[in-house]
Amino acid sequence: MRKNLGVHTILIAAALAMVAPFCWQIVTSLKSLSNATKVPPSLLPEGRWDNYGKVFDVLPFGHQFLNTVLMAGLRTIGQVLFCSMAAYAFARLRFPGRNVLFGILLSVLMVPPQLFIIPQYQIISSLGWLNSLQALVVPGLFSAFGVFLLRQFFLGLPKELEEAAAIDGAGPVRIYWSIVLPLARPGLVALALLVLLWSWNDLFWPLVVNTDPGKMTLSAGLASLQGQFQTDYPVLMAGSLLASLPIIAVFTVLQRQFIQGIATSGIKG
Amino acid sequence: MWMSKRLGAVALATMLAVSACSGGGDGKAAAADPNAKVTLSYGVWDANQKPVMETLATEFTKTHPNITVQVQLTPWADYWTKLKAAVTGGAAPDVFWMNGPNFQLYASNKVIAPMPGDADLSVYPKPLTDLYTFEGKPYGLPKDMDTVAVWYNKKLFDAKKLPYPKDDWTWADFTDTAAKLSDPAKGVYGTAAQLGSFQEYQYDTIAQAGGYVISPDGKKSGYSDPKTIAGLKFWTDLIENKSSPDLKTMTDTTPIQLFEAGKIAMYWGGSWNVSEFTANSYTKGKVDVAPLPRGEKQATIIHGVANVVSTKTSHPDQAWEFVRYLGSKQAAEILGQKGPIPAYDGTQTAWVKAHPELKLQTFLDSVSYAVPFPVSKNTAAWNEAELTYLTKAWTGQEPIDKAATELAQAMDTLLAKE
Amino acid sequence: MTTTMTPPHRSATAGARRGAERGGWRRGRAPRRGRGPSRRKEALWGYAFIAPTGLGIAVFYLWPVLQTAYFSLTEWGAFGGHTWTGLDNYRRLSSDPEVGRALVNTLTYTGLGLLSIPLAIGFAVLLNRKGMRFVGFYRTLFFLPVVTMPVAIAMVWRWLYNGDYGLINYLLSLIGIDGPNWVADPATALYALVVVGVWSSVGYNLIIFLAGLQAIPKEYYEAAAIDGAGPFRQFFSVTLPLLSPTAFFVSVVSVIGSLQLFDLVYVMAGSGAGARANPAFPRLETVVQLFYDRAFVTNDRGYAAAIVMMLLLVIVVLTAVQFRFQKRWVHYA
Repeated sequence: MRKNLGVHTILIAAALAMVAPFCWQIVTSLKSLSNATKVPPSLLPEGRWDNYGKVFDVLPFGHQFLNTVLMAGLRTIGQVLFCSMAAYAFARLRFPGRNVLFGILLSVLMVPPQLFIIPQYQIISSLGWLNSLQALVVPGLFSAFGVFLLRQFFLGLPKELEEAAAIDGAGPVRIYWSIVLPLARPGLVALALLVLLWSWNDLFWPLVVNTDPGKMTLSAGLASLQGQFQTDYPVLMAGSLLASLPIIAVFTVLQRQFIQGIATSGIKG
Repeated sequence: MWMSKRLGAVALATMLAVSACSGGGDGKAAAADPNAKVTLSYGVWDANQKPVMETLATEFTKTHPNITVQVQLTPWADYWTKLKAAVTGGAAPDVFWMNGPNFQLYASNKVIAPMPGDADLSVYPKPLTDLYTFEGKPYGLPKDMDTVAVWYNKKLFDAKKLPYPKDDWTWADFTDTAAKLSDPAKGVYGTAAQLGSFQEYQYDTIAQAGGYVISPDGKKSGYSDPKTIAGLKFWTDLIENKSSPDLKTMTDTTPIQLFEAGKIAMYWGGSWNVSEFTANSYTKGKVDVAPLPRGEKQATIIHGVANVVSTKTSHPDQAWEFVRYLGSKQAAEILGQKGPIPAYDGTQTAWVKAHPELKLQTFLDSVSYAVPFPVSKNTAAWNEAELTYLTKAWTGQEPIDKAATELAQAMDTLLAKE
Repeated sequence: MTTTMTPPHRSATAGARRGAERGGWRRGRAPRRGRGPSRRKEALWGYAFIAPTGLGIAVFYLWPVLQTAYFSLTEWGAFGGHTWTGLDNYRRLSSDPEVGRALVNTLTYTGLGLLSIPLAIGFAVLLNRKGMRFVGFYRTLFFLPVVTMPVAIAMVWRWLYNGDYGLINYLLSLIGIDGPNWVADPATALYALVVVGVWSSVGYNLIIFLAGLQAIPKEYYEAAAIDGAGPFRQFFSVTLPLLSPTAFFVSVVSVIGSLQLFDLVYVMAGSGAGARANPAFPRLETVVQLFYDRAFVTNDRGYAAAIVMMLLLVIVVLTAVQFRFQKRWVHYA
């Protein structure tokens, strides 16, 4: 323990800086509106627990929670699958035009997302998907970011196992599924976590394509609580806090995967 | 480019598919069966007004059992971006809220439809119905209205033993009072010369000084007019004399926050601030309202939201029926109990009576000398220029007449493009 | 695991693997497996594997970009409808001082924003220590910024930076310094925002680096320890080189992300009045913000398309440069 004292000091100091806004959010969620916007701010909560109750009055919380879970879950599964497939091809398989296609893919990553709002809306609208689950999920199934992340990860994996499997007559599908994917687990977990996070926090897209409150996600529902002249910040923060609890739980569980990763990928090269 | 043939083919196929689909969708429903069940979508942007809007929708369905209305709330911050996407994608709500700065853009692009038949517009304030008239035709009915007044902190007046503002006070009175209330060393100021919300500040003083923002035909900027400049100088002088915090301070802490912290004695605000100031634990019981001070003349900006109908709606008759209901006396009375000031003449008593402790009648009295909100077809373009150029004068980097003249040139260029 | 980097001071384990080939984007070599038909088969599988993502990307992402490229050559109405204007928008672009300013600001953000990478690597290494107590707990704490509501984040930072009531200036006043209005003063605003940007990206980058660290086999550390390398030597001779593919990824993605910066300025620089009323705005505005304003606010969409095409060109060049120089420092297995 003593040898880690310095490390603990650094980590505690940094952790304080990292959690401050989160604590602020908790404190604000327990204040009255007048005190939440007060200048200079008070740092003490007031015990206004009714703010949490109000969240359920102003939002169809259950519905929106379910939509959020569906959207985030499907996007995550889809991206991990599709991106890992494409990443495997770009990292390991040879085919004409590979570099050019990868370059095109990367170029998509370079486009500011604001550009896609109207064109994607038009596509969803012409498919007749407005106000539907597909609208929330489908555009988020494909990601240049995910392909690039996993490709980098696959390139760092040892090749010997794959080569041995190929000599044994395994085809690309089997190599991908039973060798590459298990080896790349930390990378897949990282991607899953990031997609989950982004989908969970994604506010603008659900707000734009879905208008029916029952078909919106929590983040979009919460954003709708902001009035033109006045916003009930305590209720907003309480809602956001409730919405983020599942994600924090998922992370706490998944972060153990990062530790286990050592055991599985540290194979004899 | 780098596109391979394969991808080109995919893109082309998609393009065809997309254009084929979008060709079919819109257009009006062929048979207009008056008894068919119809659902109208109604786009609004204020979370605080959503409950009232839903009440109105339910009331409407009581008398029109075949029409249900679904209120769609998009927060203000994203409302116009989403509406643009929706319009481009052919899926705008049937009926939606419109504001002054955006109105002509939507009317001139035929996104919203002119009102069919006759409507009695005389029951609404004229500057409001004028605001929503384009090329001689009315495009919707005003729903609510708001005017501007001075909110003042009685406690700060009492502390300095100053009398509260009188109804006939002048610019000189205001400036004088502001100077007396200021105590820069303690961070307390008489007022705050906000930049960024022209409706409550610059536009009012410009009108009071006898100047104008845009010529009546919408083709020429008024910012180089000496009277307009006088209206702006009113504010920059207040900053210079330390009767108002400087722009940096107001960027860090907004004037309304300063007012709610007792750091600003007189806050130029709107009728929409009532609910906030009566609920805030600091301002509650400490503030009241006075009319805007008189410059060369008395003036306040009037603005209000209107209900408009999308050109692409499949149910134009039902949509207009709903808009007419929303513009009716009956609807105005419901709105006035729990919302902004209704626009319909004579329905405002409920709104005034809701807070007898405040002189809310001030907001209504000012309608008689109210001037319309300045707009053109692409208001947003020169609204941006106003900020870009006037910031330089607000920081003291440039004298106000220079900044305003430069703004006038930039605005004229933008207006020429409309 | 094979590696090619093998710095001279490295030893047994890695040395044994010398001679394994270098993979990578440019010269990736497929597993050796006959020629002719099996090659063709492999190529077909390659296309099959990229097909789902490829199709989705083409429809939802590539197609809009191509459309925008076309519209950058037109005057494009607020609700559609366009007239061909050739290179007019680009000509206007080259003489618009706001574009140049936004570009300089954006490049500054990008350069300074790279600080997030060494920070994230440092924290990742500390949080990856085995046998240290509370590691899981720390990780969760470091993760919290990414789930904190942006409104709350902005409120905290705006309070810290507040010129009159802020914590920073209060602390400075204790030692007799009168601090500025951090986000409203043209001299400090950009740097104040960079700090927030770095702060908020550390959490994400940390997730990626933690994953990257897992892929480093512990044998390498054991071998290095046998060679007598202390924690610092191990960090520089094992961790850093083997983390380089991940670092390369993060660097490419961070540069792209910084060049696309938008939200940060939007929430941090504006008060109720919007970012443009901030006197420091000329030092803060970014290219994407300019694009957004032209596309969605002032209804100048053709010009907005040209701005975004210009930005795309800048990003392509900067990314290509990074790929070109990756050989110098990135070590693939």
